[in-house]
Amino acid sequence: MKSFIIIILFITAGLIFPVEPVLNYIHPGKDQSIKEITVKKLQEIINNRDGKPLLINIWATWCEPCREEFPDLVKINNEYGNKLEVIGISVDFPEQADSLIVPFLEEQNAKFTIYVLNVPEPEDFINLLNKKWGGEIPATFIFDKKGVQKKFLFGKQSYEKLVNSISEVTK
Amino acid sequence: MKKGKMLILLAVVTGFFLFCGSITNSAIVPAAVENFTLNDYNKVEHSLTDYKDANAIVIIFIATQCPVSNAYNARMEQLYLEYKDKGVAFLGINSNKTEGIDEIKEHAKEKGLTFTILKDEGNVVADMFDASHTPEAYVLSSNDFKILYNGRIDNSRDESEISSQDLRIALDEILNGKTVGNPETKAFGCSIKRI
Repeated sequence: MKSFIIIILFITAGLIFPVEPVLNYIHPGKDQSIKEITVKKLQEIINNRDGKPLLINIWATWCEPCREEFPDLVKINNEYGNKLEVIGISVDFPEQADSLIVPFLEEQNAKFTIYVLNVPEPEDFINLLNKKWGGEIPATFIFDKKGVQKKFLFGKQSYEKLVNSISEVTK
Repeated sequence: MKKGKMLILLAVVTGFFLFCGSITNSAIVPAAVENFTLNDYNKVEHSLTDYKDANAIVIIFIATQCPVSNAYNARMEQLYLEYKDKGVAFLGINSNKTEGIDEIKEHAKEKGLTFTILKDEGNVVADMFDASHTPEAYVLSSNDFKILYNGRIDNSRDESEISSQDLRIALDEILNGKTVGNPETKAFGCSIKRI
């Protein structure tokens, strides 16, 4: 009887707190390495602001508007990197990191942190970033220095729009 | 505590946490859409009212150039073939301003898509549905065009990783006269190229 109850408790705990895979894979590039990211890790990044606002861009190498927008993110990181943390999260398949993501980043000369998403359920990740977001990419989210989301921009943005949004959050 | 009472208590606690887990997914009450008329790639008009006798109407916003939408070509065709015999109408809609009618026709032929594909010039219908990306599915009731389901076809672009066939589940529930248990789901896709 006791063992039956323990089994039930384990099943319950598993349903309430689904276990995320432990990910430590790093895909090294010349100037850039890519680490896999989970929902838990994303939450930690948002929470651990250390006084710096955060810009998160969700993109993929297969997404043409993302590729078109990317040079502006590189430029923004170069210009605002001292007062804003910029990170990119690719939703390519993790196993495509070496073949697709790293070459693209090197071509773009991207110096900011890039992750590749590896989650069993994309919906959890989408809802964590914004419940109003349907999952279309590119998408950009700007958090203030306390980790509160102040801007969400869906679709490809102009450089001016991105800069104006950053200015509103960092002023 | 007696074993019986202990089991009941355990069941109540389990049920409570499972219930809490389900309400955090805050399902949005589906709305309805108006009738619309669009041309298919052979310039034949189709209205929603043409399908009033169907058991349900599936609408999927699709694209010719989106790799995610293209990853679902075979799965969409399979769903169409399976569910048309169950009285379900199946319509693809292309709302991308960058993808013209000739390209859509050629793409359908090349990829073996035999279901009706409509061209949404000016993304009027995409705006009406508030559709944001491809592939994005809707299931409508055929009598009042109420949105019974909105979201993904399944939960992985990679067929070997699928663990939830959400559109199929919703259709089966509707055909069995049940309320759709999970009426709103999400997945990554290509944003619709609007005018």
